[in-house]
Amino acid sequence: MNRKAAFIAGLTMLGVVVSGCGTTGSSSPGSSSDSNSASGASSISGQTISVVFTSTPPPQKLLDEFTKQTGVKVKWTTVAWDDLQTKITAAATANTYFADVTDVDWSRVGQFYDTKWFLPLNQYLDVSALQKDVPQLNEFTSHGELIGMPVDASFMVTTVNTADFKKAGITTMPTSFSEYNADLQKLVSSGVNKSPLGIPFAAAEGLSTYWYETTAAFGGSVLSPDDKPLFTDPNSAGYKAMEWMVNAYKSGLVPKGNINMIDSDEMQNEMANNRIATIFSDYSGNVGTLYNVPSQSKVVGQVSYIPTPGVSGIGPNLGNPDGMGIPKTAKHPAAAAAFIKWFTSPEIQADIAGAHGPSLSIVDWPLPCRLSAMQQLVAADTNKTLEASLMEQLFKDHTQPPFQGGAPAWYAQFSNAVYTNIHSAALGQETVEQAVQAIASTVNSLNQNG
Amino acid sequence: MIQPNTATAPPRKKLRVGQSASNQLLGYALVLPLVFFIGFLSIYPTVLTFIDSFFTDNPLDPPVRFTGLQNYFEMFKNPMINHSWGNTAIYVVIGVLITTVLSTGIALALRDNFKGRGIVLAILILPWALPGVTEGIIWQWIYDPTFGVLNSVLHSAHIIHAYHVWLGSSRFGTIFFIAVVQIWQITPLATILILASLQSIPQELYDASTVDGAGWWRTTFTMTIPLIRPGLAIAVIEALITFLNIFDQVYVLNGNASTGNSIMLQTYNTTFQNLNFGEGYALSFMTVIITMLVSVGLLKLIYRRVDY
Repeated sequence: MNRKAAFIAGLTMLGVVVSGCGTTGSSSPGSSSDSNSASGASSISGQTISVVFTSTPPPQKLLDEFTKQTGVKVKWTTVAWDDLQTKITAAATANTYFADVTDVDWSRVGQFYDTKWFLPLNQYLDVSALQKDVPQLNEFTSHGELIGMPVDASFMVTTVNTADFKKAGITTMPTSFSEYNADLQKLVSSGVNKSPLGIPFAAAEGLSTYWYETTAAFGGSVLSPDDKPLFTDPNSAGYKAMEWMVNAYKSGLVPKGNINMIDSDEMQNEMANNRIATIFSDYSGNVGTLYNVPSQSKVVGQVSYIPTPGVSGIGPNLGNPDGMGIPKTAKHPAAAAAFIKWFTSPEIQADIAGAHGPSLSIVDWPLPCRLSAMQQLVAADTNKTLEASLMEQLFKDHTQPPFQGGAPAWYAQFSNAVYTNIHSAALGQETVEQAVQAIASTVNSLNQNG
Repeated sequence: MIQPNTATAPPRKKLRVGQSASNQLLGYALVLPLVFFIGFLSIYPTVLTFIDSFFTDNPLDPPVRFTGLQNYFEMFKNPMINHSWGNTAIYVVIGVLITTVLSTGIALALRDNFKGRGIVLAILILPWALPGVTEGIIWQWIYDPTFGVLNSVLHSAHIIHAYHVWLGSSRFGTIFFIAVVQIWQITPLATILILASLQSIPQELYDASTVDGAGWWRTTFTMTIPLIRPGLAIAVIEALITFLNIFDQVYVLNGNASTGNSIMLQTYNTTFQNLNFGEGYALSFMTVIITMLVSVGLLKLIYRRVDY
């Protein structure tokens, strides 16, 4: 037992998911529907890989198909997102094997590049060929290295309850930020909903990403490409966005209870239960996976996506997808790479997103990571339940990374400063000016130390 | 009534040499698994944590290097960490005091047999069986400022005129309401520990105190409480450790907000979020030392050996 392993085992008592293993690794990836050959299949055949991920597994039928193609068996373990991030860190610092394939979140790409905890995927995937079909590939690239392969098309998008808007006399959906603001006031003044806007105000990650998206709608971004703060000027997009969010809470546009709302899921449930009428920075996929699911929603057929109402026309949609990567301690990297290629192939992406019926889909899967798979989804969405057509358009034309220079290695500390200070500002414990100065001071200090 | 053990202990039978050695071996064999578990899962990592706390160990700032007491100096200079220590101290004071008083009261009420006592005991133990995160979610619903049960009940009873935001509005209020959740969880265990002590007090002592004319208060405070001091000490130490380590409820109910941030949450963030393992080791080690010192202090204050 080395020191870190002992520390982690004894002090934090974190159990690392240990899964089955097969024979020793091989050198080349196996086949997939995206691959141009099945040349590697024989060398990886017979291996068992452990996939530890945040979603439920694909249907067994699909996994069996992968095994049939490559001879590789898959053991899939589902772990909650927060817990998985801790496991990744614990296993990597202890230099311990825990999975062959696991989650790579967009926010940790910079960190994983610096720490070298994941194998670059450039050696396994044809990155330049993927660029066209996978718009969010850049979010997973740092210094030319592809740290993870995006596996979904999660991005921030505005959702509105059209029935509530209609009740308030709003017949045309807002296309600019001023119209959106005016509509919020109409919802309140008409008595349809006295607190119509959803923002999760607890000191947690959801509040930070909301601010990034609102800042983008105000026409800017929070950090420059060289990671300098861009939000300290009262006329900057970041400053205005924070001011708008804080005022929305203080004025009652946002329900009081949102101050303790840790998880964005809770806010989406508020929407599904018709307690709020709009979320400015919602998640793509929610209309199909939550709002239009009768067993989970009281607003079936009422909630729609709208293009981001920006200060000057349609604003961007910031991407926050999850990806899959291969930890450096993986036992079967070639088989792992074959799995990632297969899992992110257009056919499988379309399958798991529900383009070919529920029997092949993963429940609650947001949207496919590939444009070609999205097109299959659009073709299948004949009754517009998923609003796949608009999603495809936004995905293709309006998604962009939250940070122009990629997520910095110190993203976690930055995000912590963001959400704790916005939370405090909403509670009136500090002003917006003090909040932005505190966040900027953290960024400057991180830049100096980094 | 409290007498040294030797005065009442029966004379021991002399054992033959072979029998004595075999008994000793059996004793060692029975203790060995515990020695193994405590040694390898507690003492060994603690020693390594202490050693590693003198190194700068951050995967974002390699290589690992000896920096002496720097992690400790950095720790004491960090206002967030100092704030977390302050919060944790408030959690401990509120939590240990209320848990002790509440569990002693409940144990006294449950001491005598009554109809349905078994059912009450079974219900009492339920909160202890729930994971911290589940409790946090339950209480989140209770504290919800818009739809929460607490607001609803207090408003219906005309105790409050408007719905309140219970968590986050003030430092003390936030800590108090989060501590209540942890108290709800740990009180059953403390009650059972104290109840076990209560039930070991011979009935003759109560009969004698009644004959002597002592009332309920006098009997409770001059006889019962002194006699349950061993159980009380264990219950208090359990509560102390629980409140020093409070984490789940804090995160679920209040996120990382500074109003309720505990030292364990700060340690987690330092170690696993910021990847500053060196400072995380120093924080962990300080927590171990503080837990030991306060535990020993409380043990000395409360524990007295009791024999009947």
